[in-house]
Amino acid sequence: MLNVAGEPPGDSWGIFAFLCAALCNLPAVPALNGTEELGAGQSIQKTYDLTRYLEHQLRTLAGTYLNYLGPPFNEPDFNPPRLARAEQVPSATVDLDLWRGLTDNARLAANYRAYSRLLCYLRGLDGQAGTAELRHRLGHFCSSLQGLVVSIAGVMSSLGYPLPAGPAGPPLPPGAPAAPNDFLKKMDDFWLLKELQTWLWRSAKDFNRLKKKVPPAVVTLRLEARGF
Amino acid sequence: MAKLTDLSGEGWPVASSQKNSTDFDEKLGTSPGVWTGGEMANPVPSACCVVLAAVVVVYAQRHSQQDSHIQYERVGADVTMKCGSMDWDAAVTWTANGTDIDDSHLNGSYLILKNVDLTQSGQYSCYEGSSWHLKYQTYLRVGTPPKEPVLMCRSNNYPKGFYCSWHLPSPTYIPNSFNISVIHGTREMVCEKDIFPKNRCHIRYLQLFLTVKYKVTLTVTNALGKNSTSLTFDEFAIVKPDPPESVVAKPVPNNPRRLEVAWQNPSSWPDPESFPLKFFLRYRPLILDQWQHVELLDGTSHTITDAYAGKEYIIQVAAKDNDIGTWSDWSVAVHATPWTEEPKHLTTEAQVTETTSASTSYFVPPPTTKICDWWAVRPWQCVGQLDWSWLLMVSSLFSEYAPSWGHERWGWVLGGHGGLRGSDVVGKGDTKQAVGEEHWV
Repeated sequence: MLNVAGEPPGDSWGIFAFLCAALCNLPAVPALNGTEELGAGQSIQKTYDLTRYLEHQLRTLAGTYLNYLGPPFNEPDFNPPRLARAEQVPSATVDLDLWRGLTDNARLAANYRAYSRLLCYLRGLDGQAGTAELRHRLGHFCSSLQGLVVSIAGVMSSLGYPLPAGPAGPPLPPGAPAAPNDFLKKMDDFWLLKELQTWLWRSAKDFNRLKKKVPPAVVTLRLEARGF
Repeated sequence: MAKLTDLSGEGWPVASSQKNSTDFDEKLGTSPGVWTGGEMANPVPSACCVVLAAVVVVYAQRHSQQDSHIQYERVGADVTMKCGSMDWDAAVTWTANGTDIDDSHLNGSYLILKNVDLTQSGQYSCYEGSSWHLKYQTYLRVGTPPKEPVLMCRSNNYPKGFYCSWHLPSPTYIPNSFNISVIHGTREMVCEKDIFPKNRCHIRYLQLFLTVKYKVTLTVTNALGKNSTSLTFDEFAIVKPDPPESVVAKPVPNNPRRLEVAWQNPSSWPDPESFPLKFFLRYRPLILDQWQHVELLDGTSHTITDAYAGKEYIIQVAAKDNDIGTWSDWSVAVHATPWTEEPKHLTTEAQVTETTSASTSYFVPPPTTKICDWWAVRPWQCVGQLDWSWLLMVSSLFSEYAPSWGHERWGWVLGGHGGLRGSDVVGKGDTKQAVGEEHWV
C-alpha cells in the first residue's frame, strides 16, 4: 500500500494503516511494569483514603467512649502526663529530621507495626465497654482498622518490601500487667485512643510522602477492554 | 523639657551651664583645659567625645533620678503625696507640671488628689514655702491593672513550628511586661521573642506527631497588678496556613463564560511537597451577594466555566493543609470580567472604549445609541444619521436580487405598498431582521 513514488495522499494513508495495525495489536503486548506501578500508586491512595476515613470515625467513637469513661477523661482540656506503663502503646512521636529521612520501607513498616499492635489493644477494649451500641461501634472500628493493616501490607508487597516479622513486634509480655485499679485502666484506654488518633494523623502525612515518591501511574492503552 | 536641677541635694553635677565645668571635668579625671587623647594638633574630635560622654553620663543620672520617683496609681483612687521629709505643718507649695496647685487640695503639707483620672498624670513638685527650695518631686502615672490578655497561637509554617501573639484588650496607660511560658508534658520550652512584630514569640518543633498537648501561659504584669491566660492545644489543632499569594484571574479569549484563576502556595508554608495544601475558591459577580464555591484538592489553578457573560467578578482563594488544622483567611480579592466579543461597526466612541477595556468594566450599550449601518433593522430611527452610502448599498442589494422588479417594489421600499410578491420580500425581510437582531445587543 505504501506508494513511494511521490503521491502524498497515498503515502499518508499507508502510514495511517500501519499505525492502526500497530495499535490494534498493542493489547497483546504485556504491560507488566505499568500495571505494577499503577497498582502501588492506587494502593497508596486507597490506604491514604482509609486513614482519613478512620480518623473521622475515631472522632465520634472516641467522643462516645470518653463520655463512657466519664470525667476527667471527657474534658477537652484534660492533659495528663504520660505514665511509664503507657509506653507499651506504640507512639507516633518522632524527631522531625528522622521522620523526613525515613526510607519508604521504614515508613511503611512503622505504620504496619503500630496499627497491628493498636488493633490488639483495641480488641482488648471490646469486652468491657459499656453499652451494646458502644461495643458494636468498637467492633466496626476494629474491622476497619484491620482493613487498614491489610492495605498497608498490600502496599508493601506491591513495592517488594517484606512484611515486618509478627504483628506485635516485641511480643507482649504474657498477661500484660493489668491496670491495678479502675482509674489507671481508664487512663490506659485514654492513651490508647490518643495514640490511635495521633497515628492516623501521622499516617496521612506518611502516605502523602509516599504518594509523591512512588512514580505516578503509567497510563497503558487498554484497547482490549474496548472490544477492538 | 524638664529642667536639670539638683534633685536630691547630693550635688550631682550638671552640664547645662558653664559654672559647673570644674565638677564636670572632675568626673572625667582631667583638669579643665586638658584634652583627653593628648594630641594638641586635633582637639575637635576629642572635644566631641568629651561632650558626648558628658551628655550620656548626665542623661543616665537624670533617668536614674527620675525612675526612683515614679508613682503609679489606679484610676479612681485617692492619692496622698507627702513633701519628702517636711513636717505636716510646714508651709509648702505644690506644682503639677509647673503649674501651682490650689491650697484646697492640700492637707497641711500633704497633697490630696481624690478620684484621680488619666489627665492628672504628670510631674508633681513640692517647694518649701519661702525659699522656693525643691523638696520633693515625683512623676504620677495613673493607670489600671491589666485585664486578662488575649493570646493566640498558630502554626502557619507546619511542620517547622508555631508562634503565639498577644495583646491587651484595653490599654492600662502604664508600662506592662509580658512573660510567656510554654510547657509540653514535663518540659518547659523557650519561646523566642520576635523583634517584629512585638508581642509575638515563636517555637520550633523538635518532634512531630505528639500526643501530649502544649500549654502556653501568658502573664502580664504592671505596677498595679497582674493577670494571665492560658491556651492548651494539640500540635495539629493550631495549623492554619497564610492565605494563597499572587492570585490572578484572567478572561479566556473566545470564551464568554470562562475565567482562568491561578495562585501560589503561601510563601510561609515550608514544605508543600510533603504537606500539600488544598484550596477553596469563591467567586461571585459584583452585582450579586451569593458566593459560589469550589474546593480544589490538587493544583494551584482553576477555570470557572459558569460565569455570567460580561459581568465583573470578584474572586478569592483560601488554603488548608490537606488533613489537619483550619482554613486560612481569604486571599486578597481579584476582579476579572469574562471575555466579550467586540461588536462590529461601532458608531459611538463610548462603545469602542468599553469593549477594548473588557477586563475591567461591565459593558452596557448606551440606550440612546442606534446602530445605524447598512443592515440596520429600523432605519427610520436613523434619519439624522443616514448617509448616502447606506442608501446606495440598499438600492444595489435590491437591484441585484430583483432586477426585474418594477416601480412597484421601489414604491414599497420607499414607503408604499405596490403589487408585491409577498413571499420573496418577506423572506428577505425576515432574514434581514434576524441578522439585525443578532447584532443589536
